[in-house]
Amino acid sequence: MQIQGSHHIQATRDQVWALLNDPDVLARCCAPGGAALEAEGPDQFKATVRVAVGPVKGTFQGHIRITEKTPPEAMTLTLIARSGVGGVSANGRIRLEEDDGGTRVVWSGEPQLLGMLASLGGRLLQGVAQAQAEEFFRRLEAEIVASDT
Amino acid sequence: MEQYFGKAVKRVEDPRFLTGSGQYTDDLSLPRMAHVAMVRTPFAHARIRRIDTAQALEHPGVVAVITGQALRDANIGSIPPGWLLPDIKTPPHYAIAVDRVRHAGEIVAAVIAESRAIAEDAALLVDVEYEMLPAVSLGSAALASGAPAVHDEAIENVCFRWSIGDQAAVDAEFDRAAKTVKLSLRNSRLAPNAIEPRASLAQYVRASDELTLWTTSQNPHIHRLILAAFVLGIPEHKLRVISPDVGGGFGSKIFQYPEEVIVLYAARKLNRPVKWTARRTESFVSDSHGRDHESEAELAADDEGHVLALRVKTIANLGAYLTLFGPVVPTYLYGTLMNGPYRFRAIHCAVTGVFTHTAPVDALRGAGRPEATYLLERMMDRMAQELGQDPAELRRKNFIQPDAFPYQTPVALVYDSGNYEPALDKALTTLDYKRAREAQAALRKEGRYLGIGFSTYLEACGLAPSSLVGSLGAQAGQWESALVRVMPTGKVEVFTGAHSHGQGHETAFAQIVADDLQIPMDDVVIVHGDTAKVPFGWGSYGSRSAAVGASALKMALNKIRDKAAGIAAHLLEAAPEDVEMTGGQLHVKGVPERGKSFSDIALQAHLAHNLPEGMEPGLEATHFYDPKNFVYPFGTHVAVVEVDPETGRVTLQRYVAVDDCGPLINPMIAEGQVHGGIAHGVGQALLEHALYDEQGQFVAGSFLEYAMPRADDLPLFEIDHTVTPSPHNPLGVKGIGETGTIASTAAVANAVIDALGPFGITHLDMPFTAENVWRAIQGGKKAVA
Repeated sequence: MQIQGSHHIQATRDQVWALLNDPDVLARCCAPGGAALEAEGPDQFKATVRVAVGPVKGTFQGHIRITEKTPPEAMTLTLIARSGVGGVSANGRIRLEEDDGGTRVVWSGEPQLLGMLASLGGRLLQGVAQAQAEEFFRRLEAEIVASDT
Repeated sequence: MEQYFGKAVKRVEDPRFLTGSGQYTDDLSLPRMAHVAMVRTPFAHARIRRIDTAQALEHPGVVAVITGQALRDANIGSIPPGWLLPDIKTPPHYAIAVDRVRHAGEIVAAVIAESRAIAEDAALLVDVEYEMLPAVSLGSAALASGAPAVHDEAIENVCFRWSIGDQAAVDAEFDRAAKTVKLSLRNSRLAPNAIEPRASLAQYVRASDELTLWTTSQNPHIHRLILAAFVLGIPEHKLRVISPDVGGGFGSKIFQYPEEVIVLYAARKLNRPVKWTARRTESFVSDSHGRDHESEAELAADDEGHVLALRVKTIANLGAYLTLFGPVVPTYLYGTLMNGPYRFRAIHCAVTGVFTHTAPVDALRGAGRPEATYLLERMMDRMAQELGQDPAELRRKNFIQPDAFPYQTPVALVYDSGNYEPALDKALTTLDYKRAREAQAALRKEGRYLGIGFSTYLEACGLAPSSLVGSLGAQAGQWESALVRVMPTGKVEVFTGAHSHGQGHETAFAQIVADDLQIPMDDVVIVHGDTAKVPFGWGSYGSRSAAVGASALKMALNKIRDKAAGIAAHLLEAAPEDVEMTGGQLHVKGVPERGKSFSDIALQAHLAHNLPEGMEPGLEATHFYDPKNFVYPFGTHVAVVEVDPETGRVTLQRYVAVDDCGPLINPMIAEGQVHGGIAHGVGQALLEHALYDEQGQFVAGSFLEYAMPRADDLPLFEIDHTVTPSPHNPLGVKGIGETGTIASTAAVANAVIDALGPFGITHLDMPFTAENVWRAIQGGKKAVA
């Protein structure tokens, strides 16, 4: 499965970059109220996310690792998260482009569902994954707005 | 006396099944029973770095958590395959993975708790750290260079390379053939989906050091043998395996599964009963799957359409581990069936068995024969299409003639009997073939697309002559046992090594006994599925119950009758050869009014006050019957479908089946088997697909994604029979449990391709879902995941 998109944020690349490296911000953006992200080491985070999508409900425990980064332009990351109902493994890329006084976040990823998550409705979940990713960047934008005020 | 053989007697087991009073493994409950939940890996391939069970063990109500290392430390062995081939790779298969997992759903730990709910909750607390590794799910992809290795000892993931037939002879025929056709065919993977999920309950009695296993098995003696001798290393007489009511097997309950090992180990270790029952989601990823072939086939014929030679190369996906029948299904139960009912000069079939990161593959209803029939019947249709000949007539002209038996095929089998044209003719008459073709032509002008598809199948079942299968690599015999025990009151207990998991042995076998001993069916009870009661037997699969199991019964009954006649002769002061049995009485020929009933004789046998000189008391006989050959059912199945070109939806309009399984013991049971078999095969053609994505994730793990055929997917079947008895068994019977599945997939596929002819489509892989058919009509690619 392949998901991708882009999102304009009215902030500089440095501002966006800083947010993308802040565990608290990321936690809020992943799932407001239901996520915890803690640094495990340089560019490594441990994540706990509560998810409820259709029949899939559970707490996912995972690890996010930033594998490459070129501040404030691009990063690649890997994610692996599991729960009792299966898991997800993903590679992702984020590129920050200067865009009309702001920043265009261009993102793509290949989430792979694991276990029961794949076998129960997995084929329906691409749309959900795409929507979740878009939601993440909308929340990131909201963080910028919030930090401005 | 009432004649039972051939009569549609209502099944004696049905009242308990229909009123919910059957006793299935999960219905059983024992004092102090604990429950298991399996921790299954979500990864198709991963290294296990660490398993932390501490949190699960702290969970209230948890009794124990078992890991693969604990089983290894206790010297619990690997689960062996039941059939070996030359140079086969047999990597170990431990009940719980130790350092690597090789398919999504493999067990990494077992949590045992006071209740099932607690066990399942605590299973979520077992913390397993994995290192995810690349995986491969498709057979051909596993053979590609650089593919991830499933087992280190299987180079390029090859488990075996096997072939049958004369390759040079095939090449020579192709050189001189007027016409050749070629197809690449996929035979899709199926999940078995027995209505009763697998379940196992183990009990340990410390005083006697005995284990009892209740389990959903088609072959409890095989389980006991494997568990005792190979896996647990305990004396065979200290393990009793009981397979009570079982709700369908279809091949998926042959295999010695890991879960059975786990409950036995746990019951002994904890000294309390332990039960596991699969959830349906577990069944999908842990039951043995079926089929999954990728094949290249070429068929050569002369310019009149007489077939000359067939060349087949198949990649058989075996899954991550070998099962009991895994190696034999795509080889000796597949390559040997490539001849069908036709006259071939030469056939060559080469099969590569491949390990992949998917659930293990084993027998599934038909087991190799549906795959062979699908391939051969698709090729026959393709040839008819190429030559512009009628597919029914092309088949007819290639049939082996009734005077040609015994018939040696180029692929090892010797057909002992057959008469194929009457079945074809019956089917054509029932269908009114000429009118069906006229209707097809007329509707095409209206933009409606009907297709008519044939499958003039032949199968080999009634597994099997022991010395023959032994020479081919079987690690087992294939005879069957029957013990007939007559009680002093003339009631009869039959203990059969065959096993019923829905087939109706309690009825059909009792019919045979009642006829032979001229007693009411109510006086007979059929006992099966308990190693402590029944003599060693090999269970039921490969349509062997009637042909082998009932033959054993018939032979044992002959011994009973002989002894009864001897007692009657003695009491009547006549010679045994002058005694006959009519109207339920043993009497001197011509003197029926002075006779002894069977129950009189039974009583005298037990009282033993007045028996012939030297005769042992009692009335009991055992027979171990080893068949001389397979039996060879055959028939013609015809499917009529309509394809909606706008949506791609396929509707099965009519289905005609004419089968020859020899004499029918119980026509109603046979009809039920044909119905179920057709539905099963139609399911593969139109709906079902046990699909893995390229990374080895199973993406069809519920009935939302895995479409089983339902009543409204099927028309009323039009079924009939011809009767060509097996010449070598005492009842003349052949098998009927798998014919429907063997024949119907090909018939429906040929019908769909026939309907799609106007679109220039000559082949399409199953399942013919609306999406796949629509895409084919649009000229697009077949849909995947």
